[in-house]
Amino acid sequence: MSDPIEPAELVTSPARSPMQSRLSLIWLVPLLALAVTLGVAWRSYSDRGALVEIDFADATGIKPGETPLKFREVEVGKVEKVGFSDDLKSVRVSVRIDKDIAPFVDEDAQFWLVRPQVSAQGISRLDTVLSGIFIEGFWDNQQNGSATLYKGLDKAPIAPDLSKGKWIELLAPDGGGLAEGAPVIYRGLAVGRLRNLRLNEGGAGVIVDAFIDKPYDARISSNTRFWDTSGISVSLGPSGANLDVRSLASLVQGGIEFETFATGGAPIENGHGFRLFESADKARQSIFGNDLENPARFVLLFDDAIKGIELGTKVMFRGIEAGEVTEISVRVETDSVGNPAPKQQVAIALAPVKLGLDSETGPEVVAEFLANEVELGLRARIAAAGILGTTRVIELTDVENLPPAKMNLDRKPFPSIPTAPVDESALASSAEGVFNRIQALPIEELMNSAIRTMDAISDVASDEQTRAIPAELKELLAGLRTMTDELNAQGAAAKTGEALDLVSSAAQSVLTEIEGLGDMLKSADDAAQAVAAMPLGDIGKQIDGLLGDIRTMLGSKDAERLPRALSDTLEESAALLAELRAGGAADKLNGTLEAAQSAATAVSGATDRLPELTRKLETLVSRAEQLVSAYGERSSFNNEIVSTIRELRNATSAFGSLARMIERNPRAFILGR
Amino acid sequence: MTQFPTATDAGLTGCIRCCAVSSATDTHCTRCGAVLHPVSANSLQRVWAWWAAGLICYLPANLSPMLKTRTLGETQENTILGGVFELVGHHNYGVALIVFVASIVIPVAKFLAIAYLALAVGGPERAGGHRHLHLYEAVEFIGRWSMIDVFVVAILSSLVQLGFAASIHPGPAAVSFALSVAFTMLSAQSFDARLIWRGSEQDTV
Repeated sequence: MSDPIEPAELVTSPARSPMQSRLSLIWLVPLLALAVTLGVAWRSYSDRGALVEIDFADATGIKPGETPLKFREVEVGKVEKVGFSDDLKSVRVSVRIDKDIAPFVDEDAQFWLVRPQVSAQGISRLDTVLSGIFIEGFWDNQQNGSATLYKGLDKAPIAPDLSKGKWIELLAPDGGGLAEGAPVIYRGLAVGRLRNLRLNEGGAGVIVDAFIDKPYDARISSNTRFWDTSGISVSLGPSGANLDVRSLASLVQGGIEFETFATGGAPIENGHGFRLFESADKARQSIFGNDLENPARFVLLFDDAIKGIELGTKVMFRGIEAGEVTEISVRVETDSVGNPAPKQQVAIALAPVKLGLDSETGPEVVAEFLANEVELGLRARIAAAGILGTTRVIELTDVENLPPAKMNLDRKPFPSIPTAPVDESALASSAEGVFNRIQALPIEELMNSAIRTMDAISDVASDEQTRAIPAELKELLAGLRTMTDELNAQGAAAKTGEALDLVSSAAQSVLTEIEGLGDMLKSADDAAQAVAAMPLGDIGKQIDGLLGDIRTMLGSKDAERLPRALSDTLEESAALLAELRAGGAADKLNGTLEAAQSAATAVSGATDRLPELTRKLETLVSRAEQLVSAYGERSSFNNEIVSTIRELRNATSAFGSLARMIERNPRAFILGR
Repeated sequence: MTQFPTATDAGLTGCIRCCAVSSATDTHCTRCGAVLHPVSANSLQRVWAWWAAGLICYLPANLSPMLKTRTLGETQENTILGGVFELVGHHNYGVALIVFVASIVIPVAKFLAIAYLALAVGGPERAGGHRHLHLYEAVEFIGRWSMIDVFVVAILSSLVQLGFAASIHPGPAAVSFALSVAFTMLSAQSFDARLIWRGSEQDTV
């Protein structure tokens, strides 16, 4: 049996789908995702910019990944990492800078931290309290070179963009009144700011940077002088008290001002150093100029009192102002025997240029120069200066007849210059001495004598015998009328004229002696007293004869000479006054204008008695008038007498006006104007 | 080989929509008329493709910042893991755990689970078919919850816009994470659960 052959069973299976159908299109999705992811990753990698490292002293507030780097207040990078420098002395901050700005961050780039600040100028960067601090960077628009490690600045630079002005350094003795950000004022305008107040590296004084904004920086030359205008300044001067407050801002935060007093200065470079003076006056007057170099300093040791020497007292080098006193102290020195001897130590600063040396000469060279001079006789001593000799200066001058001395160049703190004793003769010959002699003039005595003279004259007039004269004269007049022809008047008139001439010439010779003025007056006084003692009875008799003579001489020329002689005498007196004015006393007084005050006081005290004098003169005159009127009117003798008396009255009134003038202006009496 | 008969063995195929059983030769469901897909190992390709796309997106989702928080001018950027650590640092352990589980554990577990299921198809582990099915159902169920992170970011960035005081913006990771979750969900859906039982080798019969 065989099985019927059956067709083989057809094995059917679905056709294998082709490769492309087995690979689903869905695979494109992960490929696409991969491509996109890789693309994004690549882009963020290639765009991440350059990494720079900045060293800061500390990293307060810097957070990696958050603290931004800003350029002109625009964020251009971020801190990636905060680490330490290799020596662990500073913090190294790694900053990723945006790709497009990174090429500009070259070697001259500056970085500093911006933090909130509270100061007299106000509160700044308050925004950083909330947003956190950030790193500010500045660089120019040039792409030159590149660096990866920078040194961060402690403070914001005074002006990052140097093309917008000029920065200078100011050296001040102390920083009081100066503050960060205080204004720099030029003619009332704020033209810059102070920054970066710090101690001088040498330790003497402080240094502050000032940045002067663009248009104004052209006003600064090497001759410009800066001074401190902080606070209020009060000064007393000839024009009264002077209160100066520059501005409220400078009162609060201080400030400096500048002015160019002298032309011809050279333009300055950035970083030029200037001295900061204490006041405008000192800036104007200082002889040290703007040199920042320390002037040569020396000490002087004085045995004598140094009264009148104070800080800032001038030091004259052979008559030229060359420096000033910077310090005064007392120092105990051991003398040659070994005993301690206190000495006055005066420190002085000298400007080399005033000694005839180069302005850049170092202190050592100046000391050598002076040591040379000292060997040739140069000494320091105190001298008087000024019109009254009351101002003292220190003089560096050649003094003769002194034992040789040397400078002690090794002395601390400064080399010492040997000193000479005060020149007494120089002080005595000063105007002060002249002034003293003027004060010693016997003006009071002079006035007293004049008063006594007048008193004596008055006594004569009021004497009984004098009063008797009119009666006798009356009788005489009656006799005279009859005797007129008989009288030979010539001789008497001539004698009278000669006598008056003699008196006037004597007066002239006596009064021209100024020194003997008092004596002269005293003798005049004596003379007057002698006159008072004269027996007037005799005079009456003489006048009897005289009147007889007068009568005969009335028509003669000699009679006319009498009043003329009297007026001559008055002229002599005027000339005497003129001579008094033109005399040596006035000359001496002229030179001591300011000092004459006390002399004038003395004169004024004396003039208090002038009215009394005048009064007495007036009584004298009125009495004489009474006397004359007793002789009757209309007689020619009377006319003569009256005219004489008129002269006398004129003289009296002239004296009175002189007295009044003296009263009004005592100085005119002395000065002749 | 098979320990138990499958529908394919019986020449039948099931409708995915209405679960009606039709003849393997039918192209349309006799009941609902839907297209009948024969069980095919080709579906595994789609699983792997979506899976790979999800994984690719998951990497940047974890490396780049998820949230940009700006508080009073201070900007803070956090990645997912960085945020978790920060929450732990603030002793918010509960929230940290939620974020960690939702953003790290679940997605990673999903990747592992899907990969395991896809690899196990046709393997001797078919014996554990029930466990695989449970695993698959769990992955499908939990997949949507992975979006919780994205929702949080979306809600925060729309709510917290207080100008200078505080504002929140989604970071690039949010998009990546959302894509990653979406891709893994698609991957899980692409997985034909019938393969668990049938095995892939049947394909070649």
